[in-house]
Amino acid sequence: MSGPVSGSKHQGKTTAALLEVCSVRLDQTLFGVPIRHILEIVGSTKPQPVPLAPGFVGGLVHYRGDVLTTVSLRQLLAMPPKEGAQDILVMEGAAGYFGLLVDSVGEVLTVSPADYEPNPSILDEQHRAYLAGAYKLKDCLLVMLDPERVDPVRLGAAQAA
Amino acid sequence: MDELTREFLIESQEGLDRMERCLTELEERPQDTGLLADIFRSVHTIKGTTGFLGFKRLEKLAHAGENLLGLLRDGKLAANPPIITGLLQLLDGLRAILRMIEAEGGEGASEDTALIEKLEELQAPAHAVAKHPEAAKTTAHTHAASPAATALPPQPAASAEPEGPAVSAPQSSETETARPRAQASSAAESTLRVDVALLNRMMNLVGELVLTRNQVLQATSGDPRMTLLSRRLDMVTADLRESVMKARMQPVSNIFSKMPRIVRDVSQLLGRRVRLQMEGQETELDKSLIEAIKDPLTHAVRNSLDHGIEPPEAREAAGKDPEGTLKLRAVQEGSHVVIEVSDDGAGIAVDKVRNKAIERGLIPAERAAQMGERELLQLIFLPGFSTAAKVTSVSGRGVGMDVVRTNVERIGGKVEIDSRAGKGATLRLRIPLTLAIIPALIVRSLGQSFALPQGALSELVHIPPGQAATAIEWIDDAPLYRLRGRLLPLVFLDKLLMPGRNGKPGASRDHFIAVLDADGRCFGLVVDGLADPEEIVVKPLSPALKGVGFYSGATVLGNADLALILDPGSIAMKAGVIMTAEEEALRAVDDIKGATRIEYLLVEAGGRQAAVPLADVLRIEQVPLSRIEYIGYRPVLNFEGHLLPVEDSAGVLTAAADGPNPQIVVVVCREGNRHVGIAVTHVLDVAAGIDLFEAGTGQAASSVTLLKERVTGIIDLDSVAALLAGVLQETEWNQMAEAVR
Repeated sequence: MSGPVSGSKHQGKTTAALLEVCSVRLDQTLFGVPIRHILEIVGSTKPQPVPLAPGFVGGLVHYRGDVLTTVSLRQLLAMPPKEGAQDILVMEGAAGYFGLLVDSVGEVLTVSPADYEPNPSILDEQHRAYLAGAYKLKDCLLVMLDPERVDPVRLGAAQAA
Repeated sequence: MDELTREFLIESQEGLDRMERCLTELEERPQDTGLLADIFRSVHTIKGTTGFLGFKRLEKLAHAGENLLGLLRDGKLAANPPIITGLLQLLDGLRAILRMIEAEGGEGASEDTALIEKLEELQAPAHAVAKHPEAAKTTAHTHAASPAATALPPQPAASAEPEGPAVSAPQSSETETARPRAQASSAAESTLRVDVALLNRMMNLVGELVLTRNQVLQATSGDPRMTLLSRRLDMVTADLRESVMKARMQPVSNIFSKMPRIVRDVSQLLGRRVRLQMEGQETELDKSLIEAIKDPLTHAVRNSLDHGIEPPEAREAAGKDPEGTLKLRAVQEGSHVVIEVSDDGAGIAVDKVRNKAIERGLIPAERAAQMGERELLQLIFLPGFSTAAKVTSVSGRGVGMDVVRTNVERIGGKVEIDSRAGKGATLRLRIPLTLAIIPALIVRSLGQSFALPQGALSELVHIPPGQAATAIEWIDDAPLYRLRGRLLPLVFLDKLLMPGRNGKPGASRDHFIAVLDADGRCFGLVVDGLADPEEIVVKPLSPALKGVGFYSGATVLGNADLALILDPGSIAMKAGVIMTAEEEALRAVDDIKGATRIEYLLVEAGGRQAAVPLADVLRIEQVPLSRIEYIGYRPVLNFEGHLLPVEDSAGVLTAAADGPNPQIVVVVCREGNRHVGIAVTHVLDVAAGIDLFEAGTGQAASSVTLLKERVTGIIDLDSVAALLAGVLQETEWNQMAEAVR
């Protein structure tokens, strides 16, 4: 697991409001999930596909005696599927744990609210639903994911509606 | 609801359950002061706590009951049927209020004046102990003089009739009935309540541990120092898993203990005299299954009382004991628990069943005329069937045995019925030991593993490469397979799960058909490959996947692969396989052409062909000869932890011992409640037999049948049983099995 070493130092602002974010890479884009939403990171897994499942379902993985449903971030953002093993962020959703399937998990970054920008209006409307603004890092943007919006229960309900 | 109230509700329920058990025992031994003290304590505890929590209505009712019980306990009153009826009403009253508190948080506004008055009335010396003659005299006096007593509403017929139907608790021995009570007090000290969710969590973690163990075993297999350690890990894990499973188990006495009361009430209502016998109450089942079979079992018991056991006069006229016997029996058989409800009543009148089925339009008359007794009995499981001559409040509302069957099948169980006219009927519920772990066949399709619950699986058919084109026939787009002359609709699992896949199956690979029977829908599921059967731990799926419908859960296999558990019922439904009552009846007729065609398993034993009725065959096992052991001169097989007597009149065992490959095939059969094994050389085929009639007399020959144009002897399982177990009853077999182990 190797993430970019960028913008990890932010000092001088109020330390109280600093946010710790787990960085996640998909192709060239850096995404972030606040670490307080993450229970565990499971490295290099190959989820078992579920035939006929809704598109956003990335498959099932075995996690601590339970069967975990994963959501494929690539599918959500309409990116082409990736071959090979992927990493999983285990998060707690409305109906128990679920996994978020990403290419690779990077390091934990500390970001400051001063660098925050909300979602730009020109974003694709469908993608905007899962995103929660961005932090401007030194040499790239850290696009925040909304952990509640990527919950499979919520996605399933949205798709049924 | 606050924690305190919830705690109170649980405690009170337990107290009332204990009270109910004691009350039915009290009827047997009205002088038992220990029982009375127990009952008194339950009511007293409720009263004490309610006062504290401020449930006034409950307190008042409990108080009235406590006064009456106090007199009984101190020997000032003797328990008699009216008093016991009164106490049972008190029990119901208390339960109703508790339910209301649980549902609404309050005890409701209504008053229990009538019941309280009744309880007070029962305290009147009218019921005083007859030992004191002077007291008895004054009673008659006061009773007549008291206007309050005469103004009371007439008592229910049940209590006014002292020699009403008596119900006795299980009475195999005096000590057995005394034991549960002794246990109750000591159990309270050595047990504690555990949240079911916590147990489930433990179960999951143990499952995880098992998988980790498997991986450790694989990784360390080369290292001799680790072997010992990992062997130990292996053992501890297995023990732990068993203990956690055991923690979820509860004895069936939890449901059985409700039955004396039900039998008492229902038999009073119907004017029956019934003796209830219960056996195997210590048999354990998973908690969720105990809950699930409560209703079906209650229904079956009511049915037996209503339709099975005749009124006392009718019984006497038939030369039977006017008191009928209802028997509840639970016994563990391998990975199942069998619960039997049997009565010695009139049995099921097959003619009535036939007429009713025709009248209700369930089957056409001409088909009914052709059906055999066994097939007719199955009709009582059809929805909308009820033979009760009149609709009673006990049973006969048209929601009868079909509900029993549906409920039992939902938890992976099976229902069977046996009936002998004039002798009684037996309903047999076959329940898996646990819901969380089910036996399943692992099948492969689309390069993935899927689990198919064994409960729905009736047989497997292999179609070798190259034969698929001829073996699978098509009507339009519907694939069909000729299974013993019947067209079986097929569903291709790969096409079902991946609708885009191209049409007909490739000729170059193997096909396997899993013949499934899901709630009466029969179809073949075509898969690419079969793996071993496995005991799987069922894991629930995310709600996001519920919409797919084909999966009932997922599981982790022994090799750490994940497999989705297929739901045969919804696959049948989605694929449009419909099996109406009409079709089912039609199929039964086709199968047997009237009662004269029964399917047989054709076997070869000692160079001769013989037939075993297919309905009695449970399994066919190929075993090495070394696994056959002997008790005395009797060959036995240790089969799934049970000792199976093996019948070998054809000398297959001796013949196999001389052969180069000492292996035999054992056909495991069911004979009544017992299982027997029959040693054979080969299993040849399954075919429908045609009855043979003796020339001249025209009587059906019972021990031979015409199978595939050849006269074939039928192995008489009855005589096998007599030969091998006439001396040894099943329990003794089990004891011997213990001893052997």
